[in-house]
Amino acid sequence: MSVHAPTGRSVTYKRPGVLTRLARSEHVAGWAFVAPATILIAVFALIPIGWSLVLSLQANNLIAPAHYVGLANYRALAKDPQFRSAVVHTLLYTVVFVPISVFGALGLAVALNRRIRGIRFYRLAVFVPLVTSTVATGIIFLWLLDPTFGLVNYLLHAVGLPQQQFLQDPNQALWCIVAMTVWGWLGFDVIIYLAALQGIPAELLEAAEMDGASRLSAFRSIVVPLLGPATLFLVVWSTINALQLFDEIYVTTRGGPLGSTTVIVYYLYQQAFQFFNGGYGAAIAYVLFVAILIVTLVQLWIGRRRVYYSS
Amino acid sequence: MKPLTIILIAAALLVSGCGGSSNSSTSPGHGHVNIVVWEGYTETEAMAIKKLAAEFNASQPNITVSVQSYGNSDYALQKVLAAIAGGRPPDISYLYGSWAPNIATNPGVVSLNKLIAADPSFQWNDFWSVERQVATVNGKIVGVPALVDNLALVYNKKLFAQAGLSAPTPNWTWTDFENAAVKLTDPAHKQFGWAYVNDASEDTVWRFWAMLWQAGGAILTPDGKHAAFDSPAGVKALTLLQTLARRKSIYFDNGSGNYLGLFTSGHIGMLWTGPWDLSNITAAKMSYGVQILPADLNHQTISGPDNWVMFNNGSARTQAAWQFLKWLTSPAIDLKWAQMTGDLPIRASVSGLSGYRQFVKKYPGIGLWAKNLGNATQARPVLTVYPKISTAVGQAVQAVLLGKTAPQQALQQAAQQVNGMLAVPG
Amino acid sequence: MPGRARRRLPFSPWHLFLAPVAAIMLVPLVWMVILSLETKPEASSFPPVLLPSGPHFSNYPATWNAVPFGHFFINSILYSLATVAGNLVFCSLAAYAFARIRFFGSNVLFVVLLATLMVPFQVLLIPTFLIVKKLGMVDSVGGLIMPNLCSAFGIFMLRQFFRTLPIELEEAARIDGTSRLGILVKIVLPLSMPALATLAIIQFIWSWNDFLWPLIIIDTASHAPLQLGLSTLQGAHSTEWNLLMAGTVMSQIPMLAMFLFAQRWFIRSIAFTGIK
Repeated sequence: MSVHAPTGRSVTYKRPGVLTRLARSEHVAGWAFVAPATILIAVFALIPIGWSLVLSLQANNLIAPAHYVGLANYRALAKDPQFRSAVVHTLLYTVVFVPISVFGALGLAVALNRRIRGIRFYRLAVFVPLVTSTVATGIIFLWLLDPTFGLVNYLLHAVGLPQQQFLQDPNQALWCIVAMTVWGWLGFDVIIYLAALQGIPAELLEAAEMDGASRLSAFRSIVVPLLGPATLFLVVWSTINALQLFDEIYVTTRGGPLGSTTVIVYYLYQQAFQFFNGGYGAAIAYVLFVAILIVTLVQLWIGRRRVYYSS
Repeated sequence: MKPLTIILIAAALLVSGCGGSSNSSTSPGHGHVNIVVWEGYTETEAMAIKKLAAEFNASQPNITVSVQSYGNSDYALQKVLAAIAGGRPPDISYLYGSWAPNIATNPGVVSLNKLIAADPSFQWNDFWSVERQVATVNGKIVGVPALVDNLALVYNKKLFAQAGLSAPTPNWTWTDFENAAVKLTDPAHKQFGWAYVNDASEDTVWRFWAMLWQAGGAILTPDGKHAAFDSPAGVKALTLLQTLARRKSIYFDNGSGNYLGLFTSGHIGMLWTGPWDLSNITAAKMSYGVQILPADLNHQTISGPDNWVMFNNGSARTQAAWQFLKWLTSPAIDLKWAQMTGDLPIRASVSGLSGYRQFVKKYPGIGLWAKNLGNATQARPVLTVYPKISTAVGQAVQAVLLGKTAPQQALQQAAQQVNGMLAVPG
Repeated sequence: MPGRARRRLPFSPWHLFLAPVAAIMLVPLVWMVILSLETKPEASSFPPVLLPSGPHFSNYPATWNAVPFGHFFINSILYSLATVAGNLVFCSLAAYAFARIRFFGSNVLFVVLLATLMVPFQVLLIPTFLIVKKLGMVDSVGGLIMPNLCSAFGIFMLRQFFRTLPIELEEAARIDGTSRLGILVKIVLPLSMPALATLAIIQFIWSWNDFLWPLIIIDTASHAPLQLGLSTLQGAHSTEWNLLMAGTVMSQIPMLAMFLFAQRWFIRSIAFTGIK
């Protein structure tokens, strides 16, 4: 068999033996490449996930010897009104957080992709919240949003707007958490987008402009589709993260006021580590896991049909 | 590939070279025992425990105590649970009293009844009654008291003078307290009469319990099967909170402890707090006073004792741990601890020791908290479901403070939930 | 350039957007630095004292002495560098396979790996502890590192990036007889510097700021990384705010420095030679 390579050389292949073909085969190669990662993740993530499945089938306070109760935890979960409201809070949060942070980051990344004076300082500034620990972020926001002594109410007062209760108002607390987490995570999305923007050749943008297309429509028809893989990644990742929101709640509202910021993972934490219902907490984790998996698969499926990869 | 190879090799070396130091056990053959103590102390307490451990180690050759900090005590539970699950608990751990009923279900927790009975010099009854109640789960003594405290009234003398109020007396009633709180409220200067932790946690609940007891109420019925806090006493207590909240006399702390900074900077007139805040208050160099809590029917206060819990890692280590705890909680050493840290003495007999006067002088106001321990007659129910009870009542109190529910309704709803919890066996 | 509008401002209009955003983002750092230069009563005040009484730079060496800061620092460096290295290596290999190789079960495996991101760590911390204990690595930096050597996050991210690269270069090399591994190392990785730099930075930050896992696995103070170590300054009732802030500011400097340095790796336009 002969193949003509682009350089014009002629290469002749002898038909390789079975073992060699196997060794060279795509399947073996693929598995060889993923093996180290798979082993590590299997040991340190999949096994613990399996363990917690077992835990969810037990009445287990993580201290005394446990006994199996089958699906009792799951049945109780289906009837649990507090779990239901945790689900509602989590969904509300996710549906607002993901679009704001992803598309806000897109705009910000484009702005930061300029060559203007001080751009490195601006990029650093956007990066700072990402580096700040959640505890410090919580303390700062608790001060900023304090109804009496906080900076935000002070500014509102200065411009004549009414004072708000923010984190002490059951109707406002969740949205304050949205603001706090957008602030904290924007830098992450921005650096992903910045990295992705590097892959868009300047020639394409210039070519569009020379054709008379306005900057905005060039952006929409060229840049946005080319950022598709990054956007898909950020939407999937942000959703996975948003549905597992915990840290920011723990350092500020602790699920309050009046349970208005109790999200699923916070409810799980309460059950497992305050009420000593480890088995019930594991069941919550599993239900959440299945939900996230379904949502992610749907997102990936949509992405497969709509995201353009330059290959 | 070179840089990657180097990194890989380095990582491999790191991982293999950094083998863990095992939780030390008895060294072969010499009768020497090493024990591990876990604690979450900071600042003066952290220094004190290290000093005392060193003193103990020097005083006798057969036992070495290593003290390990697990950071903030709030996170301790997850670490302790992991250690228990992994079969490597410490020999002694500082644990919040509220965890005792659940921790006690672990078969590895050393039950101290026999050890205490065998050693009359230990004088179990010398510990305050509320400590003994919290350390005993279903008759089993599962911990040695590590800390005791209580709530007292701390007030800003300057603000009182400015408002023309006379200082709180031991005969103060709820009415006096309410009047003072209202008089000390000045929205124009962002000044509040009182602060209350309103994060629906146990911090929110235990102040309410104190008020409930002062009004003659009880948390549960004597048989422990039903809620009793939705009584007229409970409604009266919660109504006082509602009244003060409506008049904007209360600064709601969200659990972050910002009330303390506001108190020391003169924005809050009165606090119901414990000796843990004393060091910050004195450091702020403000003029303050301490008084027992105001009374409705009585001046009861509430205490939150914590325990040293022992885990069984073999009889040699258990014996060594017991020796250390006996020594640490003995009257003379406890007085030393109190002098170093400002914590209240955990034994009644300490007030009779010669160094006690200096202790009271060193921490102005601590004497009143120590005396107030006599008013801490009741303890919270020592039940595994107590954390759930606390959450239900915390929501009720928070709802009333935020003006969303009326006291009667809030308490009845919470009582319903609690009755459901108590109905489940075990 | 034809058609460029005449500027009416002496500076680019982008500054009007970026400057306020930057200010909002910088609030925490400024606040932390101010608190780190105050005395303890000032730093514990509420509302916060924003004009300290003379900057107390002594807080910084005081923090270094109050806690074994040097140990914390080294442990954090080891932990972060090892996890960055591990992720870069293992995730690149796996992501390349998922992006470019059609192998049996790849879709299912990808989803299975991705699924490991979907369970909150609170539920996994005990079994992870049990596994690390089985490996004999409790209370060691190795125990910190092992569970974090490879994360599905990196695999997912790199897969997306690798798929945006034009495949022609790789196909040409394939035909030339280069091995798969050679293609990865000589062609794909050099073109993926922004993505690799991003992964490195993110993983570094996660390890550097990690608190819960170190809490569970580390017992001895000298083995603790930074966030865990600094938490000893924070009590249930009393926190040494000024020292804690000084420690926190010091702990953030490496990450900020790294970011400044790494900017040139991921803000660098890539010339696509070879494709015409």
